[in-house]
Amino acid sequence: MRPGIRNMCNRFDRSYSYLSCILIPAVFVLVLAASCHKEKPSLYLKIGLPEAPQSLNLWLGTDANSKRILSQIYQPLYRRHPKTLKIIPWLAAADPVFDPEKSTYTVTLRQAKWSDGSDFTSEDVVFTRQLFFDFKIPGRYSKWKLIHKIDAPDPHTVVFHLKEPSAIFMSRIMTVPIVSKAEWQDVVKKALATEKPLRTLQDHVVTHPMGTGPFVLTQVKKGAYIHMKKNPYFFGTGLTLGGHVLGPYVDDILFRVYGTSDVAILALKKGDIDYYWWDIQAGHLEDLKGQDDIDLYFNKKSALYYLGFNLRKPPFHDRALRRAVATVVDKEFILTRVLQGYGTPMNSVVPSGNHFWYNPDVKTYSHGLPREDRIKAAVKILSTAGYTWQTPPVGEDGSVVEPSPIQLPSGRKMDKFVILTPPADYDPRRAFVGTMVQEWLRDLGMPAFARPMAFTALLDTVKGKHEFDAFILGYGKLNLDPDYLRAFFYSKNDRPRGWNMSGYSNPEFDAIADAQRRTIDPEERQQLIYKMQKIILADLPYLPLYNPNVIEATLNQRFKGWVSKVNGIGNIWSMCTVKPVD
Amino acid sequence: MLKTHYIHRFFAGWQIFIKNPVAKAGVFIMVVFMVMALASFCLPLLGPMYDPMTGIDPDIRLSTPPSLTHWLGTDNVGRDILAQLLEGAKVAFIVGLSSAFISIVLGTAIGMVAGYAGGLWDAVLMRAADIIMVMPSLVILLILASLFGQFNIWLIVFIIAILRWPAVSRVIRSQTLSLKQRPFIEASQVAGASSFRIIFRHIMPNVLPLAFLYMTFRVTSAILVEAALSFLGFGDPSQVSWGMMLQWVWKSGHMFQAPYWLIPPGISISLLTLAFYMLGRAMDEVLDPRLRRQAQG
Amino acid sequence: MKPGVFLVKLLEIALIFFIILTLLFFLFRLSPGDPVSKMVDPMLTPEDMDHLISQMGLDRPVWEQYLIYVKNFFTGRFGVSFHYGEPVKDIIKQRLGWTILLFTTSTVMAAFAGVYLGKIAAWKKNSRLDNIMSISALVCYTLFIPWFALLLLWGLGYQLNLFPLGGVLTPELWVGAGSFVAKALDLAHHMVLPLMTLFIINLGSYLLLMRSSMLSVLQEDYIITARAKGLGETVIRDKHAAKNAALPVITSVGLNLAFSINGGALTEQIFTWPGIGRELIFAVSNNDYPLAQACFLLIALVVLVANLIVDLLYAWVDPRITY
Repeated sequence: MRPGIRNMCNRFDRSYSYLSCILIPAVFVLVLAASCHKEKPSLYLKIGLPEAPQSLNLWLGTDANSKRILSQIYQPLYRRHPKTLKIIPWLAAADPVFDPEKSTYTVTLRQAKWSDGSDFTSEDVVFTRQLFFDFKIPGRYSKWKLIHKIDAPDPHTVVFHLKEPSAIFMSRIMTVPIVSKAEWQDVVKKALATEKPLRTLQDHVVTHPMGTGPFVLTQVKKGAYIHMKKNPYFFGTGLTLGGHVLGPYVDDILFRVYGTSDVAILALKKGDIDYYWWDIQAGHLEDLKGQDDIDLYFNKKSALYYLGFNLRKPPFHDRALRRAVATVVDKEFILTRVLQGYGTPMNSVVPSGNHFWYNPDVKTYSHGLPREDRIKAAVKILSTAGYTWQTPPVGEDGSVVEPSPIQLPSGRKMDKFVILTPPADYDPRRAFVGTMVQEWLRDLGMPAFARPMAFTALLDTVKGKHEFDAFILGYGKLNLDPDYLRAFFYSKNDRPRGWNMSGYSNPEFDAIADAQRRTIDPEERQQLIYKMQKIILADLPYLPLYNPNVIEATLNQRFKGWVSKVNGIGNIWSMCTVKPVD
Repeated sequence: MLKTHYIHRFFAGWQIFIKNPVAKAGVFIMVVFMVMALASFCLPLLGPMYDPMTGIDPDIRLSTPPSLTHWLGTDNVGRDILAQLLEGAKVAFIVGLSSAFISIVLGTAIGMVAGYAGGLWDAVLMRAADIIMVMPSLVILLILASLFGQFNIWLIVFIIAILRWPAVSRVIRSQTLSLKQRPFIEASQVAGASSFRIIFRHIMPNVLPLAFLYMTFRVTSAILVEAALSFLGFGDPSQVSWGMMLQWVWKSGHMFQAPYWLIPPGISISLLTLAFYMLGRAMDEVLDPRLRRQAQG
Repeated sequence: MKPGVFLVKLLEIALIFFIILTLLFFLFRLSPGDPVSKMVDPMLTPEDMDHLISQMGLDRPVWEQYLIYVKNFFTGRFGVSFHYGEPVKDIIKQRLGWTILLFTTSTVMAAFAGVYLGKIAAWKKNSRLDNIMSISALVCYTLFIPWFALLLLWGLGYQLNLFPLGGVLTPELWVGAGSFVAKALDLAHHMVLPLMTLFIINLGSYLLLMRSSMLSVLQEDYIITARAKGLGETVIRDKHAAKNAALPVITSVGLNLAFSINGGALTEQIFTWPGIGRELIFAVSNNDYPLAQACFLLIALVVLVANLIVDLLYAWVDPRITY
């Protein structure tokens, strides 16, 4: 060894022994001390989130968790009443005044301030609309296009000029958050000068979003927490809106991210958080039911989980086959076994919780019949349509047997087909329902194969490339306005990445879908929407499968006053009315 | 002639091998898991309730602890955990052995070419081997996961094999180098045999036994990497593997409530890789007498 | 090592890095899924989606995108994350600290402990102590990291309630006017479980390495000479044998990096430790090309540089090695 090295090693040796003498006890003490330290009691409202919010830039943060944070800050002109689901004024002072001759809506704004104390005026509304147009903001521009002119005659009045009457003006256009001109105008100017304005806008780092909502952002510690404080300028403080006297009555909110639900539930039980803003799986309920300091909330969801067919090619281009599938699928089973009873039966493509628009009178296919009866009914449909078997599922004596492979009316055996589902880790329910559907179809001799597929790849295959036979997907938060029916089934939307994934094309449906968009009278529109549902459930491009309830839990030791509404207690009403228990 | 020589050496080696307690333990564990893997083929005989992917018990809808009908309990949709464990054993063996096999084939081919050709080929190939060997395979697989979107189990096997051939190739290369000097190789060269022929007809049979000995270490890394990948959610969703089971127990939020679900897959992965590793080490000691435990001092 | 050789090695790293960069770029651009697919809002029309894609620059011809990418890379612009909308550089800067903290602490601790225990194990070869240590080390080495981490979480975090179940700090302490000591203790408290996981996993390999290195050193002549000189056993073991045996172990930290990094990423994921590994996994699930690429390239660079340093160290320390 070189001499220099030897010296180094000697010193190394000595320092090694010193280090170990110091390091090891030090670590020991630290660990001991750390495990002994108690948390200081605090009056922060602590909320757990399942994932970190993507971004606090309103134009980029489209994921659910970003929306949760941002919805405390940016507010719309109108929103839905928590109980009646009717649209009520929020940042607006009253219902809009509609002038049928001029085709305008005049909206009077409330006296409100931005979080820096400046006034909220009609200029902000005009600015927001202009922003949507200049950047073609996804999801906003396509709706606000209908407003071809906007006036601001005075700081608290806005006049919207529409080209033609629109049924979704209130429900989809007026419920969009308004942003502050002061906050965004410089950013907008800079962005518009670049090559990719939208991208530049989205990449703008927002540190102190200015809003009219109940809370403002104080601090974001990446990877650790988000801190919000009460907004002293919130317009709703003291007002009675939506049937509640608004606060907010909490001074601070702390948001923390929990990677998995059991860690979050444990945190809830320990008191580390007061509310976990995510669905709780039925498997954890037993654990939580017995706890006195935990309150459980069960609410309906505006959701649609369904089996989609590809109508563009065999075998599902045949409606009779789809109807047979609808007959043999056991929705009761899904409700009791997969959802463990925490769900609502789903008969139409509009959830039953959306009581005004839901049509209870659509064709249901098997109303909870036992397995044998379902198979028999399905066989009847198939036989009438010309399908045959060497050994049919229903024997001569009327008993149900294991069938041979089903044969098409042409005589050929049906080709094997695949039902695509999201993977079990993404959504165990959908993956599991997929395997169940596979088994039910095999009871009819159909060569069904359920295959889990990574979610992005699944969307690309189904929505982008249309290369599939059937799939199971869902919308966890359907908008309460049923205009989405048009998006899903309108024939023009059958194109790559279009929302008509099944390839449904029905001119009668298209006509009614267009008509409902222009029908402002709610009763009239309701009839049209009813008709649309009837058609869809008769033709079955999608077979609605289930609608889970949302189960949530809060700690009742420190805070109370959570407001239940469709889709759960995580809503603006809760945030404005939750108060400390004293 | 050489073949019988090798068979003789194999048996001599086996005698030494089997005396080693480490080897004994390794073989024992491996046999247990092999039985489990074979048992998974019998699962359909027990009925549809025991299918690892789709089997549901009509009476059970939640994760339940071990019972008479389900020896290890059920997962959160009512599937039998023991059935999944057996299926996972099958998958582990398939993934481990096939991945190891492919990397042996690759590593041997590359090692032989590098050793025989020498010069630039040798330098480039061995440098590539060095680089690939130090790259973290899981990280590479993650990047590729976003490329392919959906991983198929065989794709995983193949990619792991591609990342793991360097260690084998080094050994094969040095063996080839020493073989190159042997008279019978020179004779073939003089006789005008092509390089290709020399490599595959003369060198290969002599290096193959060595290559297979190194298979055990490849198996361990293949099993661990596949399990880690499945655990993170990027594995093949249509396969039940141990890593997948751990992913389910973790993601479904049952890791605190269901130790009967959490413990078996993890122990299996660790034990099986331990077994293969022990076998590898024991084989190492057979080849390298210095490492042998001495009976007398 | 001659300076010329050193330069060649540097160039080699640069070349390899560049190849990886190029490979990655093309692999990504050829991939099937894209981030916009994940937007499931039914009201987004195909026009909206095309608009978003063009804004992200994903509609340009691939060659153009490549050249832009390379140019940006070498001018220090590593792109903007698709998912977060923030510059990738900033995101990495925020995360890097946490990873370095966890990683270096665990590696240093594991190396020290591995050397210390391995030296004892080799010295007492074949004794019961040695057997216990070797088998334990072997078990540690083959432990499946996620499972082990989950077990620790379950046992020490849940059952015994000694440590937090993840994350890096307790928000209330840091939001208010907590003292520095309280904050430091809180951080340490959160670090114990992930540290323990990484420590135990890495300890196994270092112990085994030290042990076999020590065993071959013990065969050397100068050990026999030292014995003949009548030096005490501990002195021989620590001052002569261990020092020489430890060198290959220290240098093996470089080779071990692949193993450690894999383990680090998994540990970060389970304990929701906000480091680079976890960010990489997130970026991959979100199809966030720029971020995933940057994380990966950073890791690759670290590995390459570490190995270069190890080569240098080795050559400097052992004059028998020439390049």
